[in-house]
Parts: sequence; structure tokens; C-alpha cells
Amino acid sequence: MAHTPAHEQPGCCDTAAGDGIAPPSTATDRELARELSGLRRQLRLALLLTGLIVVGSMPHMLGRPLPAIPGWLSSSWSQLLLATLVLVGGGGPIFSGAWRALLRHRADMNTLVATGVGIAWLASLPATVAPGWLRAQGLPADLYYETAAVILTLVLLGQFLEARARGQTSEAIRRLLQLQPPTARVQRQGVLVELLVSRVAPGDTVLVRPGETVPLDGEVVEGSSWVEEAMLTGESTPVRKQPGDAVVGGALNRSGSFSFRVTRVGQDTLLAQIVELVRQAQSSRTRVQRLADQVTAWFVPVVIAIAIAAFVVWFLVSGNGLLSTLFLVSVLVIACPCALGLATPTSIMVASGKGAENGLIFRNAEALETAGGLRTLVLDKTGTITRGRPEVSDFQRLGGGRLEAAALLPLLAAVEERSEHPLAEAVVAYVAEQLPGAPRPAVEEFEAVAGRGVTARVEGQEVRIGTPRWFRQGGEPDSGELVATSPELEALAAELEARACSTVAVVVDGRAEALLGVSDPPRQEAAAAVAGLRRLGLAVVMLTGDGRRTAEAIAAQVGIERVIAEVKPADKAAEIRRLQDQGQGPVAMVGDGINDAPALAQADVGFAIGTGTDVAIAASDVTLLAARLAGVGVAIELSRATLANIRQNLFFAFAYNVAGIPIAAGLLFPFTGWLLNPMLAGAAMAFSSVSVVTNALRLRRFRPHPLPVAR
Amino acid sequence: MTPMEVGDPAWRTIAQPAALKALVALAGLGLIALELWWFLGRHGETGTAAAEGGVQTVRITVQGGYAPERVRLRSGQPIRLVFHRLDPSSCVARVIVPDLQRSLDLPLNGEASIDLPPLDPGLYPFHCGMAMVRGELEVVSD
Repeated sequence: MAHTPAHEQPGCCDTAAGDGIAPPSTATDRELARELSGLRRQLRLALLLTGLIVVGSMPHMLGRPLPAIPGWLSSSWSQLLLATLVLVGGGGPIFSGAWRALLRHRADMNTLVATGVGIAWLASLPATVAPGWLRAQGLPADLYYETAAVILTLVLLGQFLEARARGQTSEAIRRLLQLQPPTARVQRQGVLVELLVSRVAPGDTVLVRPGETVPLDGEVVEGSSWVEEAMLTGESTPVRKQPGDAVVGGALNRSGSFSFRVTRVGQDTLLAQIVELVRQAQSSRTRVQRLADQVTAWFVPVVIAIAIAAFVVWFLVSGNGLLSTLFLVSVLVIACPCALGLATPTSIMVASGKGAENGLIFRNAEALETAGGLRTLVLDKTGTITRGRPEVSDFQRLGGGRLEAAALLPLLAAVEERSEHPLAEAVVAYVAEQLPGAPRPAVEEFEAVAGRGVTARVEGQEVRIGTPRWFRQGGEPDSGELVATSPELEALAAELEARACSTVAVVVDGRAEALLGVSDPPRQEAAAAVAGLRRLGLAVVMLTGDGRRTAEAIAAQVGIERVIAEVKPADKAAEIRRLQDQGQGPVAMVGDGINDAPALAQADVGFAIGTGTDVAIAASDVTLLAARLAGVGVAIELSRATLANIRQNLFFAFAYNVAGIPIAAGLLFPFTGWLLNPMLAGAAMAFSSVSVVTNALRLRRFRPHPLPVAR
Repeated sequence: MTPMEVGDPAWRTIAQPAALKALVALAGLGLIALELWWFLGRHGETGTAAAEGGVQTVRITVQGGYAPERVRLRSGQPIRLVFHRLDPSSCVARVIVPDLQRSLDLPLNGEASIDLPPLDPGLYPFHCGMAMVRGELEVVSD
């Protein structure tokens, strides 16, 4: 509950206590600490005084004198004094907050509590000042000081518990921020000096010893070690780091010692970017929350109207003003707009933090919301299902070829060097391995044909390197040249493709010279991850530019039944749209975030499989920091758990108010004959928002299911 | 703290003159109308932005709510919102512009500003972390 402004006081509004890009002791954190200590003080005072009031009111409640209780404590004047102290000392911030809000035409939690408690206090005044006169008029002279004090104390207790729980919702971010050590050992003019991390500049060389945490992002220049990036990427296997490898700040160095050159500092580090992305996600709202927001705007004024109406109706029925006042107070103090307001943001806070813990960065709350309802998951092949590091496994000369291998290979490398295709890189690497240091001929008129291959002129020869499919189709329609494929090439290609190799044919001056088989085996856990996704009820589809046979062979290895092959990169987005148009529910795309950006953007949820060092993958809704396909399943499971949690929270908050308010208004009385004591109403309210936050905190215990054993 | 029974001392029917009952009913209705008008009617002043170096700049005071609560801005121009927080409540320690996924921590008795890109015409709400204290940016085309 807790919409309680006031100095050093709680507030239900600040759902984001303690996150901030700066170190954990940010202003928000300090504010939460101050709020808690202020609340603790108020609560202690209220508990003590309310205890005295309740003891003093016992004889009155039981209707007989109790010798153990001193008479002065039971007197109406001391009850008035004690209750006033509780209201001013413990409830001061609530009353001043309500007043400030009133002047701004706003009504909130404070308005309800202050009015309810204030009215109970006011209603007891006549019985304190002139009890005899009231009795002479035939009116009851009852005191409700203990009601006012007990309600206020319960409200404070609820606020205290809620503020404490709220502090835990941003724990994940705080933990991430604490990953960065405060200092780094930097080489300066040949001497090692220990500097605050904020003083380290890009280009500095930093030494990391065994057991230490890497302070910033950089590139290893000397030494080697195994480092653990689990806290950042969720990937638990330690990674070997050698000169040339990238290291990220926050990773734990295990055994060896190494030096690295700092490349990114401050807000540019991976850690800072993760924190910023999580923070942004926490600042967004879900679709369902937009609805709840509409309700909260109207909520308090409507509750006040219901309370007044309850008073009027009960006065007309009973003629008893004091009784009617009790109904009025009950309605005011049972309503809890804060439970409604807290229901979604707290779940989102905890879930995005939990995601970050598992190496999953959700771009916004809507991504978190949509991922749970996905029906179809499209996986890019290269780099997603496979490791994305293709290698040439076969090099077959063809019968019609005339060139020597020693001439063909440098020519091949020279042309492929110009291409950015992953297969071309594999070819270049293969040639470098076969003929190290061989000179490369000059290349002219280089041209890449998307989804097909490349053409170029080398030493007067027309060179074409590309998929056999291209040649089968007879070259480009506008090239005016037909290249016949030989039965030999066809047969070899079929054989290689059946072994899940991509094939690259080399044609020089219209003659098929060679066929290369390039293999890119599936990731080790790909089959288990696909099985896990199917267990979640998702239809898994593979999308690739590769030839159909190669694609199907890979798909069979990992257990995917549906393959969309031979799709040019530019057409991937269109394929996603086609799947969306089939109306089988939301479609997700999983890709590397760079080549697949349009398809990721077209999908209802785009998952980018990151490299673990760069989260600047803007097109994606979810970024998987570890290059593990299993992360997609974890993201979907987390999303489902979050949605269930939000639904529970909203259901609870709505149901609580929808059921509680009529009961407090006495609607059940004609049927059951009992009325709700305002103190019970206060207790119910105090714990409704605590239970919402506590329920959201259950998400901290989220654990993804272990992957099934792949078939 | 048990539910009150009919036997509870508070439960007592008292005969009241019809005129008093009518008066209470009328006063109750009047109070409801007044309260709904006060809280739900449109009272907040609409603020406009001052142009400072090509940036539409709005100063918003935070005390018991946002003043101004509604700000009219022109589309296609960058925006700077400067919040001056006087309210000690930690409720308003954070302001969120959900549609733009931006949030800002507000220091007590200090100013903090948030820069927004040029926006398309439309309504962009901003609120505290729990969406109880609210304001709205109304972006209109030139």
C-alpha cells in the first residue's frame, strides 16, 4: 500500500528503488534506506502508544471494570491524548501527504487513510467532551480512538514491510553493479599503480591476477587464463582467454594472470550497458498495465463516493450516525489502490533482473509480455543453430577443370577475400592453410550476387564462385551466358549436402573447376535446446539461405521438422511476415542481430544471439548474452512465469478491492447479519499490497527447467 | 477484532425525523458531487514550453503532484523536461515516461532534467513509479 509521502517517508510510488547506473549507493538507495529508518521510528512510536490505547479501552470493550488496568488509562481524555499522539507522531506524513495531494486535486492512498482515520478520531470527540449530553439525547457515547490508532499502526506496518520488500525487487541490478571492482592495477610509465576504475582510460594496460575480477572491457595483450562470465552472460563454463581475445568487466579471473588493453570505460562497458538496458525495460509498461493505470486514476475518488453513499444509506436505514460512520471508515480504509498500482511494475522489476542474471536482456516490458505467448519460433541456421564458424571439409576437383590446384587456390582466395559471406571466410582460411603465403592474383570487376555467389575477372578469366543452384539455373538471366552443370557436379553436391555441408562451386570461363564442401556443425546443445523449445509447445522452424538438402540435413541432426531453405537475406523478413499472416499466433525470430536485423524487427519478438561482448543489438527485443540457443527457452519460460505472476497480482488486487469494498459497505449484512469491524478492514488493506510485492518477489526463485535429453 | 454482531453495542436503531434523513441524503449526494468534481474534473493548468536554443524547455515542480500537470508541446522539436522536486515523499523520487521508456531519479530540493527527442503529435503520460501521481505531455502539430 503505502502511498505515503512525507519527509523521510515511504512511498509506494518508487518501484525502482536502488537502481541507477552509478554505484549501488545511489541517491535512490539512500532514499530507500532513509525511508525505512523513518518508517521504523514511526512504527515503533505507533506500536507503543496504540498498545496503551488498546489496553486502556479493554474495560470499555468488555463492558466491565478490570482492576489490573489503572483508571486514568481508560479515561476518555487520556485515550484522546494517546490517539492524537499516534495520529500526529506516526501518521503525520500521511496527513501532510493527503493535504498536499488534495490541494493538487489528487486523491491517493494517503487521502483514504487520512480521511478514514481522521473521521474515526473526530467521531469520538463528542463522546469525550459531552458523554452525558449524548446519553441524555438517547445517542451512543462510544469511543473509537483505538480504531483510529490500530488502523494507522497497521497501515504503517504494511508500509514498512512493503518498502522492505520493494528494496529487494532491484537486487539483481545492485548485484550487477557490485560486480565491478572499485580499483584496477594499471601500468603507468612502466610502474603498476592501483587506480580507481573511474580514473582508468581507454588504451591503459591493466593487470588481472588469479581470483580477481576484470575491472573493465578490453583485449588481452599478454598472458592467458580461464575466466568465468557467468554473472554477466549466464554461461557457466569458463572461457579461455589469450592475447587478442576480448574480456569484459565483471568477469571473474580463475587461474592465470594476464594484462589487457582497456577498450571501453564508464557507460560504454558491457556491464553499464546491461544495467542501462535493464533499467530501461523496468521503465516501460506492459499492455495489461495500461489498463490497470486507467483504473487507478479513477479508483480513489470512486471509493470516496462509495463510502459517502454507504454512510447515507446506513443512516437512512438505522438512523444511527455513529454506526453509519463506522461503515464510512471501513470502506475508506479497506480500499487499496496501491495493490493495483504495484501489481505489474514489481513483477516486471523482478523479472527483468532475473533475466539479466540468466544473461537475457529484455528491451521492454512488452517483449517480456509477448514472449510468453509465442507459438512459432523461427531459427536462423548459421550462427544460431550452428556455431557460425564454417570450415572447408572437402575440396573436389571436377572432370571438366583445366587449372592446376596451385593456380586455382590463390585465384579462389583472391576473389573470396573481397566477399563478406561467412562461407567465403572459410574458403580464404582453407587456402591460407593449404598454400601459406602464396601470392594472390589481382581481382577486377568484383561483384556479389545476393544469395547466389560472386563474380570477378582475374587475369583475364571470368570467375564465378557460388552455390551450384546458381549454375543449375543457368546463370543470371541478364548475363547472357549459360553455364551447364555436369552430372558429376550434381552428384557430388548431392552427396556433400546430404552430409549437411554447404556447397560452393568454382566456375572459370564457363568450366566447372571444383566443388567445395563447407561444414558448420550444429552447436553442441542445439538438439537439446530444440527439444526444450518443442516441450514448451512451440513450432520450431529453420530459416536459411542454404540449399535445401544441406538445410534438411542440419535440421534432422537437431530435430527440426520444418525447414524454409534457399531464402535470400533480404527475403527473411518477408518469410516471417508470411508466417505471421498464417494466423498461428505470434512468431519469434532468433538470429545474430546483424545480418538478420530486418527479420528480427519484423518478428513479434526478435531474439539476438549475442557474442557476449556487445549488447548494442538494437533490432532485437531480447538479447541473449551467451551464445546459447537454450537461452531462448529460458526467456520464454521466464516470460510465462512473469505473466502468471502479473495475472495473480492483478487478480488478487482487483478481487480484493471488488470483494472488500462491498463487504466494508455492509452489503453482506442483510444476508449474513454481520458487519466488518473497521480495524479488520485496516488490517486487510495493510497486507494486500504487502502480499502483492511478496508474490512478485517469488519470481526471484525462478529456475528454468533443465534441458531434455535430445533424441 | 471480530466482526461486529447485531448484538454489538454499536448496533442500535435510532428513530430520526424524516427531515434530518432527507437532509443527510441531500448533503451526502452534494458531497459526492463535490468530491468527484474536485478530484476528477479538469483543474490542472496547462503549461507551455519556453524555447531555449531550439529545445522546448518545460519546468515542472513536484509537490503533491506535478505542476503543471499537463504540458502542451509542439511536434518535431526536441524537448527538455526540468523537474524541481520539493516533495520529500520518496513516492515521487522517480518519474517515468513509459511510452518513451525513459526514467529519471529526482533529487530532493534539486533539479534534474530529461531530454526527449522530437515527438509525433499525441498524448504521452508521465508518472511516478506507481502511476499514482501523473502528468501528461500533449504534443500538437504546428
